[in-house]
Amino acid sequence: MSDLRTSATPPPTPPRRAKLELLVRRDEKDESFEVREIGSATAFVQSRPQRVPPESFELAEGASRVAGQRHFILKNTTTDRYLMLTEPEKFLWEQMDGRTSLQEIATAYVLRYGAFDFDVIPNLIRKLQRAHLLTLTPSSRLRQALARNRRKPMVKAIESGFTVLERINISSRNVQRVFAALYRFGGFLLFTRGAVVAFALLALAGLVVGVRLWQEGGDIVAGFGGHALRGILMVKGLFFLTVAAHQIVHGLALVHYHRRVREFGFTFLHGFVPTFYVDVTDIFMASRRARVVTAVAGASVHLVLGSLWFIAAYLAPLGSFTQAFAAASGMIQWQAFVIALYPFCFIEMDGYHVLVDVLGVPTLKQEAMAWAGGLLRGRVPRRFGRQEQLFALYVVLSAISVAAFFAFNVMLISHARS
Amino acid sequence: MSTPAETLAFLHEVRLFKEIAEPELLILGQSLEERPLRRGQVICREGDPGEEMFVVRSGSIVISKLVTGRVEQVLARIGPGDFFGEMSLFDRSPRSATVQADTDATLLALDREGLRRMTEVSPRAAAAFFHALVLIFIERLRASGDLVAEVTRWGLEATGLDLDSRA
Repeated sequence: MSDLRTSATPPPTPPRRAKLELLVRRDEKDESFEVREIGSATAFVQSRPQRVPPESFELAEGASRVAGQRHFILKNTTTDRYLMLTEPEKFLWEQMDGRTSLQEIATAYVLRYGAFDFDVIPNLIRKLQRAHLLTLTPSSRLRQALARNRRKPMVKAIESGFTVLERINISSRNVQRVFAALYRFGGFLLFTRGAVVAFALLALAGLVVGVRLWQEGGDIVAGFGGHALRGILMVKGLFFLTVAAHQIVHGLALVHYHRRVREFGFTFLHGFVPTFYVDVTDIFMASRRARVVTAVAGASVHLVLGSLWFIAAYLAPLGSFTQAFAAASGMIQWQAFVIALYPFCFIEMDGYHVLVDVLGVPTLKQEAMAWAGGLLRGRVPRRFGRQEQLFALYVVLSAISVAAFFAFNVMLISHARS
Repeated sequence: MSTPAETLAFLHEVRLFKEIAEPELLILGQSLEERPLRRGQVICREGDPGEEMFVVRSGSIVISKLVTGRVEQVLARIGPGDFFGEMSLFDRSPRSATVQADTDATLLALDREGLRRMTEVSPRAAAAFFHALVLIFIERLRASGDLVAEVTRWGLEATGLDLDSRA
């Protein structure tokens, strides 16, 4: 009699993702060290595939008898090996410039094609590696540059500081239930027409009182008692906490569109910018409208809070500390609103993501910077088509905007001092 | 510093010495030298000459092998009752890995002379010692195979070549 239990045994589960434990010394001759556990999945998404130099490959479009079925032939001119690429694979190949991580490439793919096939990238990487058309480079360029110059004490100190700060990451991946509960117990109100109208009216009121407060700037700032700079730094400290609210509203927007919040936490962005963050990548599977609403909803927190602060300042006694604090807080909140939604400032924030989504150019900043870098190094562009015009517009507008932002803040401080 | 009685009680618990009778263990205990270590202290570096093996009395020890520059791969973390350094003791080759204290720790060192004395004084104790050693070597060999498999799998997964497990 056959053993039925054998045939009923469930198939073995795939092994967990592999991890490597690495001991990293602060100095080659130093005894101090730290142990880092690196998962293969992390290494994979952070790797930056680099295609071979342009002189080592040729790309041509193949003729097809089926309408709408484009394909491309990629040839390694060194080894004379050929690969056939589909149109999406060609798109991925073009992203593999050694600067863009696989995570960013996957995002670009979703923005371009509206869906994601989890096998397409590893499959392509395997094909390209077999044809010797690809190398994989881990870690950021900043960290590579720091590592190259580690012998300089200052660089070494900066690198050590980054390493310490980078390791600070307080986060949870089990937050979907929390966000769902927040949404159920009131968060949903933020996404109603009534709320949108109320916020618009509040913003209008904030704008009106903001203009009036500006006209009384000197009297208001007097409330800081001659310590305007110190007062503004205190306001900035309080503002930092509202960044968490910004991220929470992003998360609520995901719940609103029935998508999943994968992670919420606090970390040091690029190793030195303290920030709260929420993983909203699941919204890529939703409609463009959902993506835009999610981006704008988070930034709107600053608009609403700024308006409330301005109204509070307007109602506070003239020249009081409360008025000065509230007015400065309102100004910073509104600045944050503009920065978050204004796409031309070299920072990839909410407005930038909306812009690249609408334009369909997911790596606009990277490509524009590379193009501008080439110009600065004396490389004359062969053509100045629509794409190059877009790059030029992005770089010029961003440079002007950043300069204007700094000039505005200098004017703000001097206005407050005078 | 531990008393002989404390050392004897500890050695009774060490797998390597478990089959050795108490009188012989007392003699062995006299051959062991206690070495306190502060956290981070390097006991030996890869390539150093080696004349001793060590038993961890207390604390945690990390064993690593150089990969590149400042980066080493952690081969094992060991604690009280575990031992290391026996390969250089037996085959006189340079140390195969770097060993460093992960916490404040205490080691018991057994040198070649101490091992020779034990073998001469009590062949029965020596046989028990070597038998335990072989069994532990077999376990470590199996663990090394697992580690090689894990590292290979890591490489495949990190470069996107693990297509079978993704299917």
